[in-house]
Amino acid sequence: MHTMTRILCASALALCSSLALAGTADRQARQQWHQAIGEGYQALAVASGQLQSAADDYCTTANDSNRTTLNKAWQRAFLAWQQVRFVDFGPVEQNNLSWQFQFWPDPKNLIAKKANALMGMEQPVTTEQVAQSGVAVQGFPMLEYLLYDTRHLNSDHALPASGACNLLQAVSQHLRSNSETLAANWRSFESRYLDTDAYRDATIRAGMGALEILEERRLAQPMGLRGNGKRNAYITDAWRSGQSMKAVEATVTGLKQRFLPGLTTLLTAEEHAALAGRIQKQFDEVLENFPVADLPMTTAIQQDDQFRVIQSLYVDVSQLATMVNNEAAVALGVVRGFNSSDGD
Amino acid sequence: MALDRRQFLQATLAGGLGITLSGCSLLPQKSGPQPARYSGAVGLPDGSFGVSAFGRSGQILWQSPVATRCHSGCNRPAHGDILFFERRPGWSFYVFDGNTGKRLYQIKADEGEHFVGHGVFSPDGRWLYATASRYEQGQGMVAVYDAERDYRRVNTFDLGGTGPHQITLHPDGHTLVVGLGGILTHPDYDRIKLNLSTMKPALLLLDRHNGQVLARLAPRHHQQSARHVDVSPSGKVYVAYQYQGPLYERPALLARLENGALREYRFDDDTQAALANYIASVIAHPDNDLVAAASPVGGTAIIFRGSTGELVNRASITDCAGIQALAGGDFLISSGQGQLVQLGAAQPARKLASLPVYWDHHLV
Repeated sequence: MHTMTRILCASALALCSSLALAGTADRQARQQWHQAIGEGYQALAVASGQLQSAADDYCTTANDSNRTTLNKAWQRAFLAWQQVRFVDFGPVEQNNLSWQFQFWPDPKNLIAKKANALMGMEQPVTTEQVAQSGVAVQGFPMLEYLLYDTRHLNSDHALPASGACNLLQAVSQHLRSNSETLAANWRSFESRYLDTDAYRDATIRAGMGALEILEERRLAQPMGLRGNGKRNAYITDAWRSGQSMKAVEATVTGLKQRFLPGLTTLLTAEEHAALAGRIQKQFDEVLENFPVADLPMTTAIQQDDQFRVIQSLYVDVSQLATMVNNEAAVALGVVRGFNSSDGD
Repeated sequence: MALDRRQFLQATLAGGLGITLSGCSLLPQKSGPQPARYSGAVGLPDGSFGVSAFGRSGQILWQSPVATRCHSGCNRPAHGDILFFERRPGWSFYVFDGNTGKRLYQIKADEGEHFVGHGVFSPDGRWLYATASRYEQGQGMVAVYDAERDYRRVNTFDLGGTGPHQITLHPDGHTLVVGLGGILTHPDYDRIKLNLSTMKPALLLLDRHNGQVLARLAPRHHQQSARHVDVSPSGKVYVAYQYQGPLYERPALLARLENGALREYRFDDDTQAALANYIASVIAHPDNDLVAAASPVGGTAIIFRGSTGELVNRASITDCAGIQALAGGDFLISSGQGQLVQLGAAQPARKLASLPVYWDHHLV
């Protein structure tokens, strides 16, 4: 064989084996993602079932103990959702399930308006009505309003009033049903997910998008680091329950457990193991620096010493977002662009 | 290149910032009787927004700041004005002096309505037709303005459907061509798509004098959202879809109106995958049979023959979206990364220029 022919064959073989390796890594990453996200969805389904039971128990026997159990059940289920909230493709797109779980942002306070309209009806609210009432009614923020909104709790309509209990139970049931549907549909989505190469980039973009929202809209904006510079806790999510920072922590934990392993597989296959290691370390750094997880955002932005702590957290999250959204994205050839993320 | 807005504006005013032309001294001319300048809505590195125009030699002609992100615009025939519409939900459109960039008007949407990013003029430049939505009812419509009377609102054409997007004028001078996306949104609900299971997209032909719907053509699948349209000077009408179904399905994304029906064009599997079920713009070249389409989601631009649907070129251009037909038969493609790329039937894509701005969807 001529030398040139041998070189060409060797190059072609090298290219083929490199492509084959990349294909194997892609599939392996999707397998990891499918399993990890599926576990997250299953945890959400279980927690939502417990939430519905707690709602029923409380509305049957409205005592302090049942109320404490109910509030904790809401928090557990809400944080389980935060862990998988980054997934914006696949079954969660159907019927706007993602928006049904969490309608946010809500600049016009539709949650309160819809809650008051539904509680003011003469007939008890049914699950059918909840199903037809739009995403502002159907998920965690509506339950959070019933359980935590200060103005509402001081009104005559507050739990355990029958109107509020009807709404609580109907929304809890809707949420449980949605979470079970989501977990089941994700399982049956497996072969589509593994066989469609486009889901590699879709999954990476989902993680990137979640980090961008986390950095910009859940931290920088309420902290007054953007726009007019005013601090405003009410534009982040879960401010009523004081769970904003807990939710941030859960999202980071979810990304670390359910997104990072697949990403690491891809980066390692592309010979960026060192970058994968740095990202892993940065996730650890963020999660170690969560002394303010229990602090409501409303308090954190009002007290300078606490504000400095969340500033430090913001810097860590920002560095993490840069590593994933810039360095890893470039290494893997994935871009979340000005136009590509626009939707027009 | 990192450049904040103040630096950018200072450099622009001083004439010190031009496009970095790569290997050519002049940008190609646009095809047909259009202003020689190129215009587009832009995002700036500091997060603010503007409308920018540049000339063929790469110099910035002007840049005007706007409060919020704009999407597309249109030149006013026989006059020097250029208009840009705010991105959906758009509460205003802006009228600029095309030569200086001086803002002449800011026209706000009527109560209960918002614009969706596109508009087109009558051939004499008097009547402006802007796609819009009456959002509480989810009614798509064309809002008609009289440019000679300070853009006074004079009429409304109900489209009998939801989610209109791009509008253009047929070369007959009388027929408006509208992409009706079919997707219901509401400003209170961010950009949530509220009716994905029941959407009814269509390509619409409309009499611009009375608003009568002359034709309503539905894509094969109800989730092929018909957003972008173009018409060649010979009257060939093209429509581009954004498919709302799952990624593992790859339906046609482009179609041409033939004999009163939509002839859908589907390419090979690799190309369909590269287009990622999303076309941001489609342009029929006025000088030949070529049609260009760009997908920022897939980072892919393609050129195909309008008469046959044969794919003739495909290029990877990150975040590409805007397209302009060039004299000589090629196309200019802009990207959200500030790139300007020439793409034709025969040669590989050629990067012409880059700017520290994010070009929004459409070149005007």
